[in-house]
Amino acid sequence: MRDKFPEPGEMTVRKLAEIMGQRLMLAPACGEEGFGRLVSSPDISRPGLALTGFTHRFLHDRIQIFGETEITYLSYLKPSAREAAIANIFQFPVYCCIVTKGYEPPAELCAAAWKSDCAVFRSPRDTTPLIHDLTGYLAEVFAPRKSVHGTLVDVFGVGLLVTGRSAIGKSEAVLGLVERGHRLVADDMVRIRRTGEVLLGTGDALMGYHMEIRGLGMVDVAALFGIRAVKDRQQVDIEVRLVDWTQKPDFDRTGLEKATTTYLGIRIPQVTLPVLPGRNLALLLEVAAMNHLLNTRGVDVPAALEQKLIERMQAASEAGGGPRETGRGEES
Amino acid sequence: MTRRTVIVPNRLGIHARPAALIVKKASSFRSEITIAAGSEEINGKSIMGVMTLAAGQGTELAVTACGPDEEKAVEALCELIASGFGED
Repeated sequence: MRDKFPEPGEMTVRKLAEIMGQRLMLAPACGEEGFGRLVSSPDISRPGLALTGFTHRFLHDRIQIFGETEITYLSYLKPSAREAAIANIFQFPVYCCIVTKGYEPPAELCAAAWKSDCAVFRSPRDTTPLIHDLTGYLAEVFAPRKSVHGTLVDVFGVGLLVTGRSAIGKSEAVLGLVERGHRLVADDMVRIRRTGEVLLGTGDALMGYHMEIRGLGMVDVAALFGIRAVKDRQQVDIEVRLVDWTQKPDFDRTGLEKATTTYLGIRIPQVTLPVLPGRNLALLLEVAAMNHLLNTRGVDVPAALEQKLIERMQAASEAGGGPRETGRGEES
Repeated sequence: MTRRTVIVPNRLGIHARPAALIVKKASSFRSEITIAAGSEEINGKSIMGVMTLAAGQGTELAVTACGPDEEKAVEALCELIASGFGED
């Protein structure tokens, strides 16, 4: 699963067929020589108009989908005209065609594909759902991405990206979270992809769910805690930055300031947690996640408290001073 | 021990933002610091404490410090409160 999204530069037709072949029900029809060619665009093309001769703006760098329309059109043509129609698109370096709905690729298509090292697949699936699945997958492969030094963990469904300098205690904190029943996605190196308006994080396929714990060396979280402790991928909802307590105590004491950070053009909330020996970081991270859940449901605790405080002071000054002695339970 | 009183000048009083500024300033001193409004006395380095005072405009606050930098602390805190925190 974790290897499902190769770098765009490694996305060959062969790899696409390996990874998505089953879901798209692809069967190689001809042009196996084209399997080594790179998929160069996350989008697809319907070559109908180009087959008729209108090749202006023909998108040859996309996978060509031959649906019912294209195949029916070609079947109406005489063999020589069919050959000419197909030659219209093969004057460009087309590298992959998929014939849908169980149609047999016309012999002229196979001949042209064979000559220009273009892979041709057929699939019994309907055209539109196949295109959805294919472009949905390719969009993820071609999504903007970056690697972040940090640890990603799913806490109550909230994706916490824990960052901070080396040895500040990210891994230990996350181990504490796993022990409390939360799920590790990636330690030390998080690969983040942007799909639409969402950041998705995964780990490195080779590193799996290994973690380095100083003094213990490499440990395997999946082996130690079982399947419930790990997760393939997770949306990155919030960054928690661990900082040394000894730094200037400049962090927000009220929670009124809502700091944010930006990854791949997407803005997410950022919480800064000062670390002190003896602080229960796992618990604090859990509370940060729950606080985020409250925030996303429109509950802003500091702002509400601030509002109540201001109202109380105003009520007191209208009553003519003496605002003291308001213990719990004395208020209505 | 050093003690001085100051009147809260700003319209909204000591709400969360001024409370955070007071606590930040107080925390930069080594002295023990308490702030009192009437009979209520709280730790000047505690944000929840300072907010609990609910000190509205016109409230008289007594700032007390005890420690090696108590005079500076009281002076700085009174100055901060008297400044109105940059609010009206």
